[in-house]
Amino acid sequence: MKRIKKIKIVIAGPFAAGKTQFINTVSEIKTVQTERRTSTPGERSVKDYTTVAMDFGKIRIDDEHELYLFGTPGQSRFDFMWEILGEGALGIIILVDSTDPSTFHEARKIINFFSSRFPVPMVVGANKQDLPNAWPPEDVATALDISEEEGIPVVPVSAIDKESVKRVLLTLLEMIKAELTS
Amino acid sequence: MALTGDLKTFNFVDIFQVIAKDKKSGILLVEWPDITVAYYIKDGHVIFARPVDRVFRVYVERDFDLLIEKLRISKENLFKTVERFLIERLNLKDGVFSFTPGFVKYGSNSYGDVYPIEKIIMLASRNLLQEEVERKISDELLVFEPVENTQDVIERAELTPEEQKVLSLVNGERTVYDIRKDSGLDSLTVDRALYGLLALGVIKRKKKERKQKPSIALDLLMKIIERIKEL
Repeated sequence: MKRIKKIKIVIAGPFAAGKTQFINTVSEIKTVQTERRTSTPGERSVKDYTTVAMDFGKIRIDDEHELYLFGTPGQSRFDFMWEILGEGALGIIILVDSTDPSTFHEARKIINFFSSRFPVPMVVGANKQDLPNAWPPEDVATALDISEEEGIPVVPVSAIDKESVKRVLLTLLEMIKAELTS
Repeated sequence: MALTGDLKTFNFVDIFQVIAKDKKSGILLVEWPDITVAYYIKDGHVIFARPVDRVFRVYVERDFDLLIEKLRISKENLFKTVERFLIERLNLKDGVFSFTPGFVKYGSNSYGDVYPIEKIIMLASRNLLQEEVERKISDELLVFEPVENTQDVIERAELTPEEQKVLSLVNGERTVYDIRKDSGLDSLTVDRALYGLLALGVIKRKKKERKQKPSIALDLLMKIIERIKEL
């Protein structure tokens, strides 16, 4: 039997940023989820279930390769999983809920966490752009203290929209290509 | 499109950082527990503050010159409203905000003395609580570096001697831990200064250089790109 090689992209971001939805939208398999009921009243007011270990979705590339999309748990109490999931990743996508500035600082911490440990290309997806109170990506970038020189593009996304999710993935892949060919 | 949030989780330094970045104009409305105040922002500066009993009035009275004439406020006294309804409230954390860009018409380019936004950012940063500074100065191993050509911003910010000292120690090499130690200042003062300077855009996080190329062959990467496009 031919051994399938796995290529990994990590989808990280604060609690309720839309990571599981992002993976669901493009995965060719039903996303494998490790969800439990939310445990704190604050979390419960946002959603009933949350990822506790990881989510993963899969896209078949050819007979020998599969692209795995690993979603991390959002809460920092699970940051040991971020470390495990980040290992060997080709690139990292940080999703941010553009409608909820209370999560922007947490998003920045997550960016710091991954960029200090895994020197791979990173893209920020300013998610939930389909909602009326979403902050524009350029303001999200300012709030996250992302300067142009940092080389982390902030792109608009709506995780329920396939084309939009594809755009984020392609932005990351084009960055990787640029690094390979430079 | 309005930018909305809660002061408990997105403080005045953060708000004014976003407003100052592109020199935005519009109305910042803050609903405090006691009053609701409309802050008029022109080209990134707060030029007027006005308590409002009915919010819709703010959005109806769009001609700024007519408004201040109606309120009988001279251009020279506009900054006093900012002092009273903003500067004195920078330490209050209980409130929700919304910033709506545009829609106010200004007949003049100048409205007397204004509080530079840079100064307000630093004033606000001096009121940050420990838990607030930790949101950005989250790790004592963080390294910041100065941003070039920001002397005019620094002048408008009117830094205290402590803040100037912290700024002088930011060199792209020292960690937050080093700056705390070398400045001889207490941690909260250092962290507040770094938070404010970061919001001003006069310092930035030092970018880590990537030393290795991505571990994937180019032809495989191209296959992945094509596959994603097909989805």
